[in-house]
Amino acid sequence: MNRNKGLTTNQWIAIAVAIIIVIAAVFGAWYLYFQPTGPKKLTVISLWSGTEEDNFLQVLGNFTENTGIESRHIGYSTQELKITIPTQLAANASIFDLAIAPWPADILNWANKGYLVEVTDLIDASKYPAGFINPVKDSTGKIWAVPFKASAKPGFWYRKSIWQTNGWTVPTATTNYTQFKALLATIKADGEANITGFKAPIASGDTVGWPLSDTTEAFIMGLGGYQLQEELIAGSINWTDPEVKNVFSNLTELLNSGYFGTPAEAWTDPIPDLWDGKYAMYFQGSFITAQPTVLNQSDFAFFPFPGWNGETNGVAGSVDYVVLPKYTEKMTDAKKLLEYLAGADAQEIMVGLGGFLATNVDVPASAYTTIDLTVLDFISKSSVHIVGDLDDSIGGTFQTTFWSQLRLLWTDPATRADLDAFLEKLQEFAP
Amino acid sequence: MVKKLTIVTHIIAWAIAAIWIIPFLGVFMASIRPFNEIRNGWWNLHTFTPTLEGFFKAERYLRTISLSRSILNSFIVAVPATFIPILVAALAAYAFARFKFPTRDLLFLVIVLLQTIPQQAVIVPLFNITKNVGLFNTYIGLILVHTAFGLPWIILFLRNFFSTLPVEIEEAARIDGASYWKILYKIVLPMSLPALASVIALQFVWVWNDFFFALILIQAPQMKLSTQVIATMATDRFTLDWNMISAASITVMVVPIIIYAALQRYYVRGLVAGAVKG
Amino acid sequence: MHRRTKKQRLRIRRYLTPFFFLLPALFFIVIFVLFPIVNTIYLSFVQENGSLGLANYQEVISRSEFINYGRPITAGPPYGAFIHNLIWIALHLPLSVFFGLLLAVLLRDVKGGAVIKSIIFLAMIIPMVVGGVMLRFMYNDDAGVVNGFLRLIGLGNMTRSWLAYANTCLLGLIVGTVWIWTGFCMVVYSAGLQGIPVELYEAAKIDGASRWRTFWRITIPQLRSATIVVVTMTLLWVLKVFDLVFIEFGGPGGSASVMAFQMYLDAFYSFNFGTASVWATLLTVMTFGIAAYMVKRMAES
Repeated sequence: MNRNKGLTTNQWIAIAVAIIIVIAAVFGAWYLYFQPTGPKKLTVISLWSGTEEDNFLQVLGNFTENTGIESRHIGYSTQELKITIPTQLAANASIFDLAIAPWPADILNWANKGYLVEVTDLIDASKYPAGFINPVKDSTGKIWAVPFKASAKPGFWYRKSIWQTNGWTVPTATTNYTQFKALLATIKADGEANITGFKAPIASGDTVGWPLSDTTEAFIMGLGGYQLQEELIAGSINWTDPEVKNVFSNLTELLNSGYFGTPAEAWTDPIPDLWDGKYAMYFQGSFITAQPTVLNQSDFAFFPFPGWNGETNGVAGSVDYVVLPKYTEKMTDAKKLLEYLAGADAQEIMVGLGGFLATNVDVPASAYTTIDLTVLDFISKSSVHIVGDLDDSIGGTFQTTFWSQLRLLWTDPATRADLDAFLEKLQEFAP
Repeated sequence: MVKKLTIVTHIIAWAIAAIWIIPFLGVFMASIRPFNEIRNGWWNLHTFTPTLEGFFKAERYLRTISLSRSILNSFIVAVPATFIPILVAALAAYAFARFKFPTRDLLFLVIVLLQTIPQQAVIVPLFNITKNVGLFNTYIGLILVHTAFGLPWIILFLRNFFSTLPVEIEEAARIDGASYWKILYKIVLPMSLPALASVIALQFVWVWNDFFFALILIQAPQMKLSTQVIATMATDRFTLDWNMISAASITVMVVPIIIYAALQRYYVRGLVAGAVKG
Repeated sequence: MHRRTKKQRLRIRRYLTPFFFLLPALFFIVIFVLFPIVNTIYLSFVQENGSLGLANYQEVISRSEFINYGRPITAGPPYGAFIHNLIWIALHLPLSVFFGLLLAVLLRDVKGGAVIKSIIFLAMIIPMVVGGVMLRFMYNDDAGVVNGFLRLIGLGNMTRSWLAYANTCLLGLIVGTVWIWTGFCMVVYSAGLQGIPVELYEAAKIDGASRWRTFWRITIPQLRSATIVVVTMTLLWVLKVFDLVFIEFGGPGGSASVMAFQMYLDAFYSFNFGTASVWATLLTVMTFGIAAYMVKRMAES
């Protein structure tokens, strides 16, 4: 080929400048790409944010003081964490060194696939109630996660002064369900007549769905007994069974009577309304006490779900477990942190900060705040059985379906009218 | 044709504009006022305390990646994913426009049809491919995917544009002995600046706004793109602070809006290409 | 070795340049687009035991997430993702095309029309996830402008968190997509209107045709090719909606779910790549059909 003209000097300069810019850009991006990893700290991921996270960071800080090992925490949304953990593990990558999650079924699943490190030898299993250890123990007796935080969903939380002012009788251990329904009717009538901006007697949780499932479980155990929940978890009873249907019929009756509020955007949203009297009660877990919108803890209390014969005999408890992925680059440090979190010292600190029930039996009752102590007392009653949280225990696609279907039940009259179809859908994804 | 325009028409037009801009107004208001003020409506103006608090909260929302860091990440992906496809597509488009070769029309047809497939149709194999070659969770992997995905429409667009350029100039250069590469690079591309502007505008905005590819292919928290951060905020299990999320939204959408403002003519032109004359 | 004639050598050489020019693009497209599509379609036929068959298709189509077979129509969504896609098309398409045309015509000669068009088009520029957030904010019980407006005009008892309810979630999102997409229809029609020869209108005026008749007999037919573009692009875009649905996570009981979202759930929640590929393939068939139709019409005109 005949090359006649070469490039002029200017053009060469322009080309050179352009190439330099491009190279600089590429290397700049490359450099920045490497930047964030930096000196990688020990990373713990969990569902916590806001106050719950702040409290946890204090424990991590304490760990750093004791051992000099720096750590950091990343809080994820439920949906994110559910995806990130298995996706990371499946890709043989691990952006986290420890993960804290309340899904025992999923944990065993990950263990089954060989993603986790066994922790049987890292902890003393006798320090934890069997009910906490068993869900993360596989058929060969190996333990795959460490219980860290327990929370219970003890009952309906309410503001004492509001009830006093309106003359509503707080249900006691002997109040039964029929009386409870009458109470709801009274509250609704009073509220609509006297309280400006009154919304409904019972606040519904948020649109992710887990508060709705907690409330539903209260009905299952309150009206069906704690064994019903256990059977549903185990899959030994169908959702389409008349016993289960009966529970949902009652729940639907309350929904149709307008006793529940609209699902909010976030589970913390109804609390200010609860405080103002726009809702009378809110079924929630014990972690609600740590919320800053609970302005006065001594004005705050709960009553357990009133069943057919009085106070319910079951309470849903969930345990946040710590798991150790196989692909962590900092195995020794991670194990140290795991052991620390499993120990009584770390848990006592968390208890002191509120909204936290320890799993380690060595943590003394004196460490608890007053209001948390009432929760502890309740779940320690001999008449009360601690059952695993239903959707957390089953996990997987059942959980997302359960939440989604409950959102439907709460907001769609047609679904409430056809309970059979609703229950069949749940049975489809049930164990 | 001259329409006699009534006042009514003008009023209707401006009313529609007002309706269309209300969502933007709402988000803007919510981003600069504290959550408590807007809890019951941002149009309530009796207390108005402008604050940048929302932006700071949005910045710190995820502890391991700041919002500004995720914006940078979006740039790191969007800039190469805009320019690389242009280079690659220009070559191919020129080949389609100026050469006759067997399978040309069929190949072109296939490429044109490919621009319509949904992202969901390719994501599972891409997920597997990137995992297997170590491109999973890397910007390069995402950039390559975006490049490939953008090529069909950019090739179509540039080829159509090249076809409208007068062949004589190129033929003259060819007679003078220039190689095709030189012709493309020194003659055709400089003449195609308007088309390139359109491509840059459209492709950049498209990559910036993308969520699905980023969602699946970028998992490490410190590498997340800005759209992922918004999605995390919106689907968070805990507090949904409208002030914070509005501030984050404003921050994320300001970049494509600026590109649009700067290149508006080319953006719109690019979008309607092929609309009128076919 | 058989020596090639000079003629053959030249011919090969002639094709060499375009071949090299096409190579990078083909490289990308084959690896990152073509192969994955084929792979996805293939995966949709791979059954649990590894053999090929239609089991995945049977499963997906029989699911209530595909079509909620037991649901009476009067009950409102959830009707199943497939039906939701169809509803989305049925509502979004006419609305955005109509508004697009209306606005294009209206703003042709209005003072400041260009500014208004820019404002309306702005909705096209934002990331869809941000659009989802804005919609959620708008429909919020207390803080949303929709409910604020209802209270303003005295319909305060109708206020609710629109996206939280099964029978309004889908509609709420559709309204959102109309808001976003109308800008596109508008600019395409605007360009189309500009391309109509003035002589046609002058001739009509001479003939004494009324404004309305002019519009129907001249404007609309002249906008035929623009309409084809608008309709096909709208269909393609609507079928691919994902981000909005993700922000709502499918809505209560999947009442706003769409096929793209179901694909995502199957793939990355249930890790069932077989059924996920079914959703993806069905979606691709639909978009491909529309695309083929568009190409055919383009080739004709």
